[in-house]
Amino acid sequence: MKLKLLWMYHDLMDLYGDKGNIQVLKTRCEKRGIEIAVDTCTIGELRTIEDYDLFFLGGGADREQGLIFEDLLSRRDGIEAAMKRNTAFLLICGGYQMFGQYYRDQDGKEVPCLSFFDYYTIASDRDHRCIGNIAVETEMDGKKFLTVGFENHGGMTENVSTPFGKVLYGHGNTFDSGFEGFMNEQVLATYMHGPLLPKNPEIADLMIQRALRRNHGDVALEPLDDTLEKRAKEIMLSRLNISPSEMSETPAS
Amino acid sequence: MDINLFLVQKLHSVLSKAGRGGSLPGTLALKLDKDFLSRFQMPGRTVLVTGTNGKTTTMNLIAEAMKANGLKVVCNHRGDNLNVGIATTLAIASDDQYRVQADAAVLEVDELTLYRTFNTLHPTALVVTNFFRDQLDRAGELETIIRKLMEVTENFEGDLILNGDDPNSLRLADNAKKAHVYLFSMAETIKSRNISDEASEGKFCPRCGRPLIYDYYQYSHIGRFRCPFDGFGKIHPDLYVSSVNFDNGTFTADGHVYHSFLNSSYSIYNCAAVLCLLKACGLDPVKADEVFKNYKLKEGRNEVFNLSKPCTINLVKNPTGANEVMKFITAQPMDKNICIFLNDNDLDGCDISWIWDAHFERLNDPLVHTIVCSGRRAYDMALRLKYEGLEDRIRVIEGDREAIAWLDEANMESFVMATYTALHSTRAVLKKQAGRHRR
Repeated sequence: MKLKLLWMYHDLMDLYGDKGNIQVLKTRCEKRGIEIAVDTCTIGELRTIEDYDLFFLGGGADREQGLIFEDLLSRRDGIEAAMKRNTAFLLICGGYQMFGQYYRDQDGKEVPCLSFFDYYTIASDRDHRCIGNIAVETEMDGKKFLTVGFENHGGMTENVSTPFGKVLYGHGNTFDSGFEGFMNEQVLATYMHGPLLPKNPEIADLMIQRALRRNHGDVALEPLDDTLEKRAKEIMLSRLNISPSEMSETPAS
Repeated sequence: MDINLFLVQKLHSVLSKAGRGGSLPGTLALKLDKDFLSRFQMPGRTVLVTGTNGKTTTMNLIAEAMKANGLKVVCNHRGDNLNVGIATTLAIASDDQYRVQADAAVLEVDELTLYRTFNTLHPTALVVTNFFRDQLDRAGELETIIRKLMEVTENFEGDLILNGDDPNSLRLADNAKKAHVYLFSMAETIKSRNISDEASEGKFCPRCGRPLIYDYYQYSHIGRFRCPFDGFGKIHPDLYVSSVNFDNGTFTADGHVYHSFLNSSYSIYNCAAVLCLLKACGLDPVKADEVFKNYKLKEGRNEVFNLSKPCTINLVKNPTGANEVMKFITAQPMDKNICIFLNDNDLDGCDISWIWDAHFERLNDPLVHTIVCSGRRAYDMALRLKYEGLEDRIRVIEGDREAIAWLDEANMESFVMATYTALHSTRAVLKKQAGRHRR
């Protein structure tokens, strides 16, 4: 079994340890004997996006984000073709924003985004950002579980029809929003850094399953020893006064 | 006589007689008078030192080198670089009319608050060591820090001492049209590399956005870079370290051989900043050599405690610093245990994701035995190491006393890395534990 992952703008959109997500996906595949190939793609580089099972785009600082905009928009057809061919998408922060309608910056300038989904993002003023630990309850592909992460964003994302989950602690899509991220059967888009996947191995495994689906159908994943992962998550949840027992006992595979 | 100033000075003298230093007097001062800092009459030479890494060391070296040049100097030597610390430093050094009693003030200022205090402190010189990614949740992004600093230096007419090998620092030169810019730089050494896996910020030309080309890297994104399109990075350094001899820890600048306090590229950059500042001020740089030679690093910077076997502790607070500490640790040619204290209190930065930007795979070395993970985020640290294939060497011991006791009982040389708020308590535990061996 082989999984092909495309890591977009690895050199520019890599903030707050987002590269850790790639490392987790790689390790969790390798431990199960799933061959995983990670290709990177930066500005001007030619890639056939629909050849990939999983598309990853992280967040970047404002300046870096400005540098990739044009290049990303020029790949819209390629991304659309990949969507039609059931590529799975994991989008963090800036990556999340860019799949919506537009981004309106601090100065009121509106930058059109890829417009795959209805949501749009409006930057708050420079001194106000959603920053801090965050806990989210989600139901992903029929499994309910709690997730933890760290959010740090000035963009307020509105008009999200299908969020990733319900915020138990922290802000989410906007200041004190009840909901976090965007999700459908193919795309998971979120503001959660941390990075996201190390402490949320359930999401990592579900992303691997989503990625494998288009060539291999539903694949059952062999369970791994996640003692450290569970403990790290439990400690964060209890600090946020959320009972870890609220966590689903169902294994992710 | 000003009653606030009197109270603050009195409080300090009472506290220090009781053996307690700290920023409490400054905290009180700023509570009583929010404009307290602006009341001081600063000395004719006021040097501010800022940047991401090496601030405390550079500030102390400058202060000592100025003393060696015969000046009376006041400085925040412990690195209390926030307003309260600076207020304390200035209050105890001034007379009852807010006149700072010294020929020069050398102040380390936190890079996040500098833009607010810059004009208040009336600097005659600003030294920038470097800019790396650091504690992003507290800082906002690096870009914001640099932009704010560019704004406040736009009309600065003093001396601007910049690291010419750091694209992030060099950006300030473009905007500070009225300042006298002095650049320090270092030639390629045997430790320089043609490629880097550490450079995260500063890959692109700030003028045109195109990728910068590097002739060589010293560490992280520090090195000789240039933009082939607009010439950004083509510099004429005012202080150039022309060669480094890592066999005996010496370097040559302006034809003179200096001794570094630590045998590493980043510490020689600190020395270069000092020499550059001295030249800019018209002081004798050669007098700094004795200072460099005898400088003892501050607490928690390569500090050794004698447990059953020696234990060396280092502060880590961002990927670049952690990478350099790990290079140092793995260069030590003996079997060793390592202990990492990871906290996420406000002063550490609540976001610990930076550990994923640091190269912990360096610890995957046959001489590294057990890696103890401790502190408030011990399990996050353990996870980080697990995903570098170090699973078998991890041991989580959350409490600091238990972790240090374990290192001691293991009877093997050890190296501790601690984040800011863990440093103080861990040093106290180490001191106590080392005391047991003296009896």
